[in-house]
Amino acid sequence: MAEIKLNNLTKRWGDFIGVDDQSLHIKDREFLVLLGPSGCGKTTTMRMIAGLEEPTAGEIWIGDRMVNDDLPKDRDVAMVFQNYGLYPHMTIFDNIAYPLKVRGTDKSEIRPRVEKAAEQVELTEFLHRKPKALSGGQRQRVALARAIVRTPKVFLMDEPLSNLDAKLRVTMRAELKHLSRALQITTVYVTHDQIEAMTLADRVAVMKNGIIQQLGTPDDIYNNPANLFVAGFIGSPAMNLINGSVTDGMFVTTGGTRLVPVKSPDREKAILGVRADDMHVHEAGQGDIDVTIYAFENTGESTLLTVQWGKQRVIARGDRHLRKDQDDVVGISLNQDHLYLFDPETEDRIEM
Amino acid sequence: MRDNTLKYLLVLPAVLVVFVTAIWPLIEAARLSFTVGRLNRPGSLDQYLGWENYLWAFFEEPAFWNSVWVTAIYTLLTVGLTTVFALGLALLLAPGGRLRSSAQALLILPFAMSPALIGVSFRFMFNPEFGLFDAFFGIVFPPLADVSWLADPQLALAVVVMADVWGWIPFLTLVLIGGLASVPRDTVEAAQVDGASGWRVFKDVTLPQLAPVLAVVVILKSIFSLKTFDQVFMLTNGGPGTATQTLSHYIYFNGMKYGQIGYSASVAWLMVIPMIFLTYAYAKFVFRKADQ
Repeated sequence: MAEIKLNNLTKRWGDFIGVDDQSLHIKDREFLVLLGPSGCGKTTTMRMIAGLEEPTAGEIWIGDRMVNDDLPKDRDVAMVFQNYGLYPHMTIFDNIAYPLKVRGTDKSEIRPRVEKAAEQVELTEFLHRKPKALSGGQRQRVALARAIVRTPKVFLMDEPLSNLDAKLRVTMRAELKHLSRALQITTVYVTHDQIEAMTLADRVAVMKNGIIQQLGTPDDIYNNPANLFVAGFIGSPAMNLINGSVTDGMFVTTGGTRLVPVKSPDREKAILGVRADDMHVHEAGQGDIDVTIYAFENTGESTLLTVQWGKQRVIARGDRHLRKDQDDVVGISLNQDHLYLFDPETEDRIEM
Repeated sequence: MRDNTLKYLLVLPAVLVVFVTAIWPLIEAARLSFTVGRLNRPGSLDQYLGWENYLWAFFEEPAFWNSVWVTAIYTLLTVGLTTVFALGLALLLAPGGRLRSSAQALLILPFAMSPALIGVSFRFMFNPEFGLFDAFFGIVFPPLADVSWLADPQLALAVVVMADVWGWIPFLTLVLIGGLASVPRDTVEAAQVDGASGWRVFKDVTLPQLAPVLAVVVILKSIFSLKTFDQVFMLTNGGPGTATQTLSHYIYFNGMKYGQIGYSASVAWLMVIPMIFLTYAYAKFVFRKADQ
């Protein structure tokens, strides 16, 4: 149980900047997700917390101790690796027992604790096997069990679900969430999958180019993106970003269509952000604007309409019973309560 | 032509080469080992003698047993020392980086030298009058100053071992660096985070995963140590006396110098037996690795 403080943390390799002077305060028992595309510095940040990477500058505090000079073994963290990092020559039992063994736990205590951890991740019947004889999902559980077998100050999880197939990922995600609620241990979780971030996190730190773009609750990140990058990264399908300008309180697309009223002074250039769910589909002539369907996709739970909008394409979500075809014309209206305006120069959000 | 026929035709040249250069000499040596086989006696190469040569080696020749003994000690020492040093060096050099990569490149140099050349240069370096090592050891450890390395039976063997270890460390280091690269970094880092000290990470995680490569290294080096000839020939020529006479050297001396081809063929065949076991074990390890 401990909070983590990163003070002005920097990691450079030669001229390449992995993490750029970032500070982050992770609260005790918090589930914090570091989210970002590959190469954004999220894994590097986590590895520095674990002690597997040495910071170029800055301080790392776990609890009330600065751990910069501590070896990984002395930091009392547990980590789940992307490729699980299981010991292939040991049985599942020995894999899970290893953190206890090296820390000199009493032998009589090891067995019940390993069995309890195995039970928590439903691995009891596999304890005598070797990792090679397990499926990907089961190996993932072993890695989890090895992390929870003792009570570390901090859990670190490096894309733990990324090697699983889509279906298993959803199941494991729920199990992870359940487990983390039950254990109440400070957790740092790295992922590039925004759904994992949204569903698991207490707070999300969205990273890009070694810099935290926004730190907030999933709701915050989704409903109040701080800039273009966060807006485009969170949400599936990604937020539609329409180029245009603001004239006389109206957003005007580059093509010259006066689209919707926005509460903003006139601007020569602006980007309007609107999520697919906030674009309502109507019959032709009944919306704010008529557009031609570029592609119609039925996902089962809803329909996705990619429509040609001047020179751009945007995606609208339609009712699951909607049936249209390519080149049909439909009307689109925008939910004016959920519009975002961005400055194309600074990429920052313009408050409305 | 059918694929089936073609595939045999394609390997045929290789099989023929192996037959002519390895199998046939082995068979011919086996035949010779049952003959009187003296180079200076016409017709003796076809004069059948039965098991006489083998019995002679076993019961009448202390020199044979001496060379078996020398070879055994030599093999044990060289295999052990080379493996330990190579493993240590590999662990030091494996992490990579500019300096380490250059060191890795330099490592190949001693291995590029012919064993005969190594033998000659070590003989010079241990020369009692102007040898570099001789002088060096004398300065570092004065009691050794007046020692004539190659004239003392035990020290001469030590020098032969030293030369061999020096020559073999680089190659085996490179093999082990390759082996270390195949140990998943995840597992090492997992152990570090799990709380293992550097030594325990090595003992519990790295070493077990390196074991198959280590086995190949030990077997390969054993094969080469057992058949060592050129270095011994150039460095001590088996001396002083027969203190450094390995089996290969003994076979060469009896066959080529004394002309006892039949007898040396029988000793050579005695050496083939452990070799077959080692080769079998080697093949098993190498192909088991390929299977995975």
